[in-house]
Amino acid sequence: MTLRRDVRHGLRIGRAEFVRSIRGYTKETRRVIGIIFSVLFFGVMTLFLASGAYVAGRSVQSAAEIPFFDPATTVLPAALLVLVVLRTFERIGDIEASEFVLTTVHPRAVVIGLLVAETSRLVLWFGLPIAAFVAAFTSGLGAPTLPLSAAAVLLPLVGWATVWGYALGIGFLRVLQYLPGIRRMLKIVGGALVLVFVAGSQFVGQAIVSEDISIGSLLSRVTFAPLVDYVSLAFVGTPLARPSSWTAAVVALVLLALTPVGLAVATRQATALWFTDVGSRSATAQSKGSESGFSAPKPLALAQSGRIAWGHLVRGVRHPQQFSHLITIIFFIGPVGTSAFQGLDDYLGLVVAGTGIGLATYLAGATFGLNPLGDERPQLPFLLLTATTPRTLVRGRALAGFAIGAPVAVVASLGSIAFGTKPLHGVGFALGGVVMCLAATAFAVGIGTAYPIYEEREFWGTETVVPSTLVLLLYIFIVGGGTTIGYFTTLYLVSEGIPTAVLPGVLIGLYGLVTAGVSYGSYRYAIRRYRTYTFD
Amino acid sequence: MPSKRSGPIAIEAIDLTKTYRSTVALDGLSLSIADGTVYGFLGPNGAGKTTTMRLLTGLSQPTSGRARICGRDITNRRELAPAVGYLPETPPLYDEFSAREQLEYAADLRDIPSETADKRISEYLDQFGLAGDEHKRISAYSKGMKQKTAFIQSILHDPQVLFLDEPTSGLDPRAARQIRQSITDFADDGTTVFLSTHILPVVEAVADEVGVLFDGKLVAEGSPDEVKSRVETGGESTLEDAFLAVTSADAPISNTAGATDE
Ligand SMILES: Nc1ncnc2c1ncn2[C@@H]1O[C@H](COP(=O)(O)OP(=O)(O)OP(=O)(O)O)[C@@H](O)[C@H]1O
Ligand SMILES: [Mg+2]
Repeated sequence: MTLRRDVRHGLRIGRAEFVRSIRGYTKETRRVIGIIFSVLFFGVMTLFLASGAYVAGRSVQSAAEIPFFDPATTVLPAALLVLVVLRTFERIGDIEASEFVLTTVHPRAVVIGLLVAETSRLVLWFGLPIAAFVAAFTSGLGAPTLPLSAAAVLLPLVGWATVWGYALGIGFLRVLQYLPGIRRMLKIVGGALVLVFVAGSQFVGQAIVSEDISIGSLLSRVTFAPLVDYVSLAFVGTPLARPSSWTAAVVALVLLALTPVGLAVATRQATALWFTDVGSRSATAQSKGSESGFSAPKPLALAQSGRIAWGHLVRGVRHPQQFSHLITIIFFIGPVGTSAFQGLDDYLGLVVAGTGIGLATYLAGATFGLNPLGDERPQLPFLLLTATTPRTLVRGRALAGFAIGAPVAVVASLGSIAFGTKPLHGVGFALGGVVMCLAATAFAVGIGTAYPIYEEREFWGTETVVPSTLVLLLYIFIVGGGTTIGYFTTLYLVSEGIPTAVLPGVLIGLYGLVTAGVSYGSYRYAIRRYRTYTFD
Repeated sequence: MPSKRSGPIAIEAIDLTKTYRSTVALDGLSLSIADGTVYGFLGPNGAGKTTTMRLLTGLSQPTSGRARICGRDITNRRELAPAVGYLPETPPLYDEFSAREQLEYAADLRDIPSETADKRISEYLDQFGLAGDEHKRISAYSKGMKQKTAFIQSILHDPQVLFLDEPTSGLDPRAARQIRQSITDFADDGTTVFLSTHILPVVEAVADEVGVLFDGKLVAEGSPDEVKSRVETGGESTLEDAFLAVTSADAPISNTAGATDE
């Protein structure tokens, strides 16, 4: 039968894809170290969670006592579904070497294979902690059948969520394929949504801790009663068992029946996506074409490094995914930023200027500067053999970042006047911000070239190279710290004038010297890296 | 000259057209290629050769028209897959595998029994001089080594029709000759080979029939000698002369297109 054959092929594809990703994880020592650290971190977390689960298992008397149990039964399948949709966008929307696979097996086998591989990856990452958690809870409860019944309940749920999530994700990708306009918009809206989501999660976290909003009442509205009944089946044969109802059985049947239907839908969607190239993905942008040649606008066109910077900016706008790493900052702004705004109403102007300058220095370096060699690796054989000096190349990159950061600093500083900053102070902040952006870009290219990342990661359906997280964090800490000092220094200078006293004068001078020295040294280092670059 | 317009038809295309938004990549292509033919598919860059292959292997859907491979409709993937082998422009391989693993995986997905697969893989690896490197990861292969591995992958299941998109690109003379040799061997065993290449001497050496594509249209077709005789320069004309003549912008297309003898 064809289904048996497709499942057989699917399992083989799944195994091969899984092995490939494992080899990908362990390709470099750097990644292995990263993995060891996360394993340690998660291991410790798991220990804590498991001991908590053990205690909970001992003390809990009925399922109703488990906090948020009812809403969780509804949120869980929804979250699984969303997770699969996102992974479909990100990674499993198509298969590598598709020309080989798709001329060899049926698309249904490919769908099964991709889903098997993805599920295996998730189990690899989260399986052990979840197993430890369940085991601890079980032994606390003293009901050894719980893992079995829990698995039996979970399996149909996971099956349902995987196939339907995939069908949904591929459906989205198809819409994007047909509507390049929407695709572009969604890239931007999607990026903004991620921002809002991440920022929102920070706020919610704070709200839960501090404000004690009654989340319970909020969540109880989203509870879907039949699902509660169904998930409660996991407790059959334990002290927590609820009287089972017929709705639970209906839910189980529906889930089981919908899974093959979902697989069929997913296969149809995937077939349609993989075999119709309406001008393939990369071709969508390319078919838009560019009428004029390459010409930079006025101020940038004057110098060669300016024209190089313009090239970076143009390519950045056409391929915004390369900026995905910038989102990281939210995790820092979130907690710090929101508390900073509290009780500072009187100084709103200063806060606006400060936040703007902080953002500006961040963007100035992090947008283009943190992985110059990695970004340009495919073009380096050409670039390094042109008559253009490494100095100009580095300057071009720094200038591109500066062109993003400096306007932000100026607009925020001058804009803060509307929020109560004195006009003169606003102008002072603008000047200081621009200088700091300059220092930030010069510093960025240095640490960026020190530790280049070459391999691409899949993000929103396209491959892109992003800087090392380590470099990014280092940049955030150093430039964030430097900008904070610089901001207060500027504030001091604009309100007090040039210091006449010895101590502030020395401190400010020292700060200026260190900043200038580090930045300039970093810039020189980047040039040297370009000059002595070898491919190996 | 083996099998010319005789016996069963291996590749049959009727009025295939493919447009990408506003670009017409393929414009009403009709083909009829007999079993066991080596068909040299020529055309300048961007003529639509790769597009044709993607259509005929079912990887992409025609905007209009239809085609059959060995009597199987190209939209029926389940039937099509065992009959065709395809070597695309870029070798479809996995960096994380070694050549041996890659080929075993391919054999596995083709449901080739493992003893048979082992034997064939070893033979082919040996034949193409990859035996010493078979356990190296493909990420560490040179361009030619990848190309050879992908070629083996496309012939592993003894397809009835073999599509080769510039198979000798990046290969050293020995490997290129090896591929030419396998092409003729396959044809002798009854396999149909649909070969796109820019290296005209290869075509002259192996092809029974030649088709020249220009701007998505077939502008000349016939045996290499027939195509050559189409340009009358007085003296000896080569396939290169013929190619240049029928694919220049001011070529009398209507004249030569009539050559599609039915
Ligand atoms: N995915 C795509 N989107 C838009 N246009 C495409 C796409 N693929 C091919 N084309 C266009 O279709 C036409 C034919 O391309 P094709 O790749 O078939 O040429 P080719 O004959 O294989 O050329 P080459 O000898 O360079 O390999 C070209 O004009 C190309 O621009
Ligand atoms: Mg081509």
